[in-house]
Amino acid sequence: MKPRMMAGSSGDTKNPKIKPRPIVRIGIFLISHSIVVSLLCFAAGIVALILLPLFAKNTYISENALMPGSANSMLSSQDVKEANKLVKDIIGLKLSSEEARIEIPRLIAQHMADAGSEVYYHKFHPQMSQFYPLHFFSGSPNSGNIKENHSCVSHAINTVGIIRAPRGDGKEAIVLVTPYNSEKVELGEALSLALAYSIFSLLTRVTWLAKDVIWLAADARYGEYASVTAWLRDYHIPQFSALEKLDADICFESGYPHEQNENQIRTDVISRAGTMAAGLVFKVVDKHKETDKDTLSIYAEASNGQMPNLDLINIVNYLAVHRQGLRVKVEKLYFLLDSVFLKIVGDVLETIGKVARSLNARWEFGIPVADYIDGAATLASSMYHQALGVPTGSHGAFRDYQVDAITLEISPKVSLNNEVRILEFLLRGGRLIEGTIRSVNNLLEKFHQSFFLYFLTSPSKFVSVGVYMIAFGLLVVPLPIIAASLYCDANVLDSHCIKEQQKSGPASTNEAGIAFQSWRWLHAAKVVLVIHLWGAIVSLLPYLMYQFPEMTPTTSMLSWGLLSIASLLFLHQILGSPYSCVTVNQSPNREWAVLKSMMIAAAGIGLGLMSIINFATAQIGALLIVPMCLMVHPLKHVYRAGRLRTLAVTACNISLGFIGFPPAAFLFLKAYSEGLGSVSAGDFWNWVESLWAWNSATYLYLGHEGYRLKHCRHGHCQGGQNQRAGEQNDRYRR
Amino acid sequence: MEKTRWFWVWVITSLFFRLVLIYFPENLNLGFRPEVATPLTSLRRLAEGYWLKQSSMSPYAGSMYHGSPMLLSILGPLTVKRIEGQPSHLMCSLLFVVADLVTAMLIRATGQTLQLAYSQSLRSLNLVSLLESSETLSAGDIAALVYLWNPLTIITCVGSSTSPIENLLIVLSLYGACLRIAPLAAFGWVLAMHLSLYPVILIIPVILLLGYGPDAPPRKLFLQKNSSENGNSPSCHGNYPCNEVTSQEKLPLHPFLWRPVMHFMLWASFWLFYVFVLCSISLKQHGGLLEMLKRTHGFILTMEDLSPNIGVLWYFFAEVFDFFRDFFLIVFHINILFMILPLAIRLKHRPCFLAFVYIAISSMLKSYPSVGDSALYLGILGLFINELAEMKFSFFLFCGYIGVSLLSPVMHNLWIWRGTGNANFYFATAIAYACLQLFSPDMDKWHGPALVCFCPPESVFQLLQGWSMGLNRRGNLL
Repeated sequence: MKPRMMAGSSGDTKNPKIKPRPIVRIGIFLISHSIVVSLLCFAAGIVALILLPLFAKNTYISENALMPGSANSMLSSQDVKEANKLVKDIIGLKLSSEEARIEIPRLIAQHMADAGSEVYYHKFHPQMSQFYPLHFFSGSPNSGNIKENHSCVSHAINTVGIIRAPRGDGKEAIVLVTPYNSEKVELGEALSLALAYSIFSLLTRVTWLAKDVIWLAADARYGEYASVTAWLRDYHIPQFSALEKLDADICFESGYPHEQNENQIRTDVISRAGTMAAGLVFKVVDKHKETDKDTLSIYAEASNGQMPNLDLINIVNYLAVHRQGLRVKVEKLYFLLDSVFLKIVGDVLETIGKVARSLNARWEFGIPVADYIDGAATLASSMYHQALGVPTGSHGAFRDYQVDAITLEISPKVSLNNEVRILEFLLRGGRLIEGTIRSVNNLLEKFHQSFFLYFLTSPSKFVSVGVYMIAFGLLVVPLPIIAASLYCDANVLDSHCIKEQQKSGPASTNEAGIAFQSWRWLHAAKVVLVIHLWGAIVSLLPYLMYQFPEMTPTTSMLSWGLLSIASLLFLHQILGSPYSCVTVNQSPNREWAVLKSMMIAAAGIGLGLMSIINFATAQIGALLIVPMCLMVHPLKHVYRAGRLRTLAVTACNISLGFIGFPPAAFLFLKAYSEGLGSVSAGDFWNWVESLWAWNSATYLYLGHEGYRLKHCRHGHCQGGQNQRAGEQNDRYRR
Repeated sequence: MEKTRWFWVWVITSLFFRLVLIYFPENLNLGFRPEVATPLTSLRRLAEGYWLKQSSMSPYAGSMYHGSPMLLSILGPLTVKRIEGQPSHLMCSLLFVVADLVTAMLIRATGQTLQLAYSQSLRSLNLVSLLESSETLSAGDIAALVYLWNPLTIITCVGSSTSPIENLLIVLSLYGACLRIAPLAAFGWVLAMHLSLYPVILIIPVILLLGYGPDAPPRKLFLQKNSSENGNSPSCHGNYPCNEVTSQEKLPLHPFLWRPVMHFMLWASFWLFYVFVLCSISLKQHGGLLEMLKRTHGFILTMEDLSPNIGVLWYFFAEVFDFFRDFFLIVFHINILFMILPLAIRLKHRPCFLAFVYIAISSMLKSYPSVGDSALYLGILGLFINELAEMKFSFFLFCGYIGVSLLSPVMHNLWIWRGTGNANFYFATAIAYACLQLFSPDMDKWHGPALVCFCPPESVFQLLQGWSMGLNRRGNLL
């Protein structure tokens, strides 16, 4: 259809009587009313964002094969009593941390072996967080083989047990993870180990198991995420280096638990059990907070806004609520619960819902105020964690290998001090996990039926991608419209200019100018490209600075800033000033309009791409960048307008530029929350460093936008930069 | 002088940039991208084929290699040659850089020839004022720089695929035809056809170029001018033979020259014979020519490899039922052939532009397209810079190309590595890319009436239908 449409529009110039096609007329209408349209769309986008909790649907189990809760639980009180013995053993080990480090894995391994499973130890070093800019492009998640000299003491030891499924072919597995701190075991950790043991020992006896079960007792001495990542890496990417073996031999005497049993527990091999269908990380938290029911908290966010399949959360939620009678929670931002604004919105919505229902009983779209506030707080937390890109627990490590995993945090209603309570609690938790495993065991394929892209507003309600994309789309639509209108205006302006010049002077001098009129934007494109290039350089600079490890955060931050400015000056010298080659018959007004339209187009493309990679980041970015893109105006030109308007535009530009400049925004937030005294430049560095460690997309929101202020003065800001680089960072994260 | 100097500075910078990128092949890993290396052009597959041949097996065993045996003998030894401490395919990459440079130089020379012809015909039409303005930019220089600095060309060059060589041969044939060097044109055409089959349709523009000479305004413009000039002389009014005579005298209305065309034909058959002899010698023990044709051109025509690429056909043939497969194969290949004749009639006075349109169309509808193909036609597009000066949608197209080329790896990542997307995501990018390419041949707004490609919209529509069919069958888009 398009070519003919274009043919129509070209015929237009020859014969003005022909009406353009409707789609062209709509386009012209939108462009001519661009300011009103973009304001409307932007407002509608924000309203739609606020209304999102209203559009949440109830979750449902999409995959029929799962059949949660269709079988009776087999976990008996006998199993639980056995497990309780393990708790007592672990707690009873009155050892120094050095001995406990070896003794607890031995204890667990012994229990595993006694239950009749394969056991091995997995030894690992904590990995230094490293920043490899070029590894975004490479295929391997394993970032080089950097062997550091570790002393034997610095090993941590994961204990892994594998049950081979009697009905399976060993091609698939379910992973259970119980992190514990080997240096100081607390009651909660001991309970989670016992929980896992009770299920594990049950599963060695059952006949229905079709997928192998792996129990990873992760030594969380260096953080639970590190241990799970290390094990997953070694599981998926085998290493065959002789050096490591030698290392293992030397350390064998001191580093490994001595085995009294005849069956030698292997330490040098990693046994495998096929691809992982699902991962369950569970923890027991003894919070001493009185509630009416045992509570289950579900954590799902993995790195860079990835979520596990919704079906996994659904079955856990279903079993917990309908079978075990637990209260299920997902994280929410608690300070939002007291928010006055949300309360007012909720009130309004409830009233509207009531009115609508009184008019027609079938219209049901209002929800109670409490539900709305709760949903909004949960949604905000979900969005915050996805946008930040830092996983909320060790389940995040699984997602990098395309395994769906969640963390279940179970906390009892009262403090666990007597044995009856402990047994009851273990039985309940154990049955929940057994039911989940049984469901996953039924799966014939990978999780694929349900959603991957969603936000939770409560454990049983979600907003799907089809709904939240609308809010985002409304927010971003102003960008292309404004870009198109600016570009068209500039062209019209230009042709007027040329006509006038042609009237006054000889025509032939401007011929060349007319001929290449439609390619004038190339200059603007060059400017935008140079600035984006600079942004990319700035975001890669920390790699260089990692070569000097002894710098303090403050000096790093300062040197980063200095290097950034230096690189800008360098680029300015090399590729010429953005304003060096303004052609003669180009009015400055036109020039900045084309520049702005180019910048807005780039920002629009960047935001669109980012929304596919990490929606939450794009949404928050759009909230910041879209107004910035729309407001930005050269201060030089503003002075011609009235004084009041000048002031308003200047103030808006500067404040938006300030908020958009990440270090400023971060320091401002920190000062606001903790008081001015605690602010230092080094904080920002630390924060940024923590974001690299997770290869977070948000990282690229930072850093290279000091230019924006300068640009505001000249009349354009660069917005898409951060997304662009962000998505590079992100795209190659596996 | 100043301009020439800048031109060479930019050329050398682009070469240097490539050399820098070649040093990070492991980090960039472009050879594994489906956008860059197709089953036909992947250097990894070529190395595998060479290895098979060295161990005295057929290079086509195991459906790994599908290129020409000659490429194997030229590039094969280079793939195994290692220099200590250097990236593995360094020699091949250097060869590709040279190929890119030669291509750019040939494009430049072609552009200069075209410009000369253009100014001659303008002069003969007494449009000297137009001539003065249009000489501000040298089309050849710009086209060469566009080709060298196009990110797609750079990616293709660095990403170890053999597309630079194919592009070189196509440009070589056009260059030969422009200068009316029949042996060169025939050589380029035969080898390009041998390597990737689709350049076979370029025989029409090449013959037109040899027959009529480079692009000129349409014949009727000359005739019109003649008649308006002759209108002054009443003796010839309405007198057909008289008109004919004056036109012969006054304007260089090039007649079709059969001599170079016949030369071209002879040379082409000679080169073809020569290539076949070389190939049959090289494949003597492994099934000979028949096997080669089956594994190279047959592989292209039957679309055996359905791994995703930036084209639209893989998805369609992954979805379509087996008993319709042959039918749709014929439909899609005839789609290209259908467009040849109308376009040739419409654009016979502009053979170079015709060649560009053919290349663009075949790169959209070919079975294993890669970004190397679009790099070629975008480079050739630069030759028509003077005509494109008034292009309306340049800004829109530019943004589109940027968007799609960034979207493609994102979607691929979402589908293959994260597992949160599916094939539909990636195919959506392919559709967007195809729609974008639709505009490229249609951009010639200023010169002549809009070229309505009547087939592509419909074929894309077909594909959209196929896509929705796939969506229905898969059941879940998200």
